[in-house]
Amino acid sequence: MEHAEAIADDEKTTTTTVVAAGSSLSAAQRRAEIRRRKLLMNSEDRMNRIVGFAKNEADNNGGFTRRPTEPRFHLDLDRPESWSSSQPSPRPSPRSRGATPERRDSPLPEEAAPVDGHLRGVRQRPKPDMSVGDNASGLHQYLSRFDDAIKLRGQLANEKPVQNGEADGEEFDPFTVFRLVCSVLLAVFVRVFVCKYLSIFAPFLTLELAFMGLSKYFPKVEKKAQTTVLTAALLLSGIPSEVINRSMDTYRRMGDVFADLCAYFFTFVISHQFLLLIGSEAGEPTGEASPAVTG
Amino acid sequence: MRLKTGSQAGIYLLSCNEEKHGSITMAACYAWFLVLGSVFLCNLMKTLLPSISSFLSRMVQKDAEQENEMRTEIQAMKKEQSSISMMDEFARYARLERKINKMTDKLKTNVKSRSAQQAKMKWIVNIVFYILQAVLMISLIWKYYSDPVTVVPSKWIAPVERLVAFPTGVAGGVGITCWLVVCNKVVTLGLHAFS
Repeated sequence: MEHAEAIADDEKTTTTTVVAAGSSLSAAQRRAEIRRRKLLMNSEDRMNRIVGFAKNEADNNGGFTRRPTEPRFHLDLDRPESWSSSQPSPRPSPRSRGATPERRDSPLPEEAAPVDGHLRGVRQRPKPDMSVGDNASGLHQYLSRFDDAIKLRGQLANEKPVQNGEADGEEFDPFTVFRLVCSVLLAVFVRVFVCKYLSIFAPFLTLELAFMGLSKYFPKVEKKAQTTVLTAALLLSGIPSEVINRSMDTYRRMGDVFADLCAYFFTFVISHQFLLLIGSEAGEPTGEASPAVTG
Repeated sequence: MRLKTGSQAGIYLLSCNEEKHGSITMAACYAWFLVLGSVFLCNLMKTLLPSISSFLSRMVQKDAEQENEMRTEIQAMKKEQSSISMMDEFARYARLERKINKMTDKLKTNVKSRSAQQAKMKWIVNIVFYILQAVLMISLIWKYYSDPVTVVPSKWIAPVERLVAFPTGVAGGVGITCWLVVCNKVVTLGLHAFS
């Protein structure tokens, strides 16, 4: 009301000023001048209204979208202050009324009905005294995690085309190549000389133990930690990045051992088939399979 | 047929074993190779999928020439526009500007639809490939469910002979699942090394 009166006063002042100063101007020019001055004078007020309205809207939207799981009564603490102002905002009130689970579950549901912000403010004041510190820290933590999520999303989007170009992200560093070659050679050696005396996996385990010792003599290739959806989800769930890195490192080592085992077993079977084919050991399988013949 | 004497039973068993061993050897001779070849083929096709999908989309879409024409036309118009002075021949300049904008919008629409079609083609090719791969793997597993791809003395692969022989249950045999996993890993490593 007061604001409207102030605007009307301004208009009168502007009109008087233009009439006094521009007596030589035509009526249209005078009207244009009046409009121009009115716009200029009210620009600041208009801007305040826009910014103030946008700020309120952003606060309410942020409170609604950014904190879906956070308790919302700390937002409501701000609302009595804004509701007590001359411009009540209709938008926040539906959200504040219906969306807060705490208020729904509160032992005093009837008191949520009245619109009076003072009552609501009074009702909620004891709560922030107890938990405003926790809410602030929880809010900061949530916002920091939200920022992390946005950053991780950006990283994932950047790394996706790189990952599509690489085949499963495997890199052949010198030690990996050395391991595979040694596994293949050992498989051939075991097939030719050792398999008759003991299990083929015993030499393989010995080889893996040797690799563990030899790994420090090879140049360590720093593998770039790829941000995948899994690592992003683990990071956001609160697991420290060191734990994730160690787990990924262990998983990578297990993958290396599995690759060695596959190469070893494959080479062993291929060499066995090759030897069977050239007929150097055609008698052994028949000796194993023909107890019925002798029996 | 009832075998009367022990010697006849022995001869019969011997002949059966020989035939059986012959068939097992024949089966084992090509089973491991068949599985290896299938896995190699699947992995090779997987690496070639992007080229196949782009080739098919180029075959299906015939608008590429039209797009090139539009691009050259736009470039020519822009060149012409740059030679015109806006102050002196504003009408002609504006007319050219409108033409350029119209052609650019048309080109953008074409490019969008072509990209969407390419993505769709890629999706279809991938789906078809994965279905075929699944059918192939399932048929191999079905075929060699009870037969090992190869047989070795069981003491060689102790103590995991049961795991290796799964699901055949044959002592010393290498089951289809184990061989599939091993071949898949080795072929992947090999193709990655050579690519």
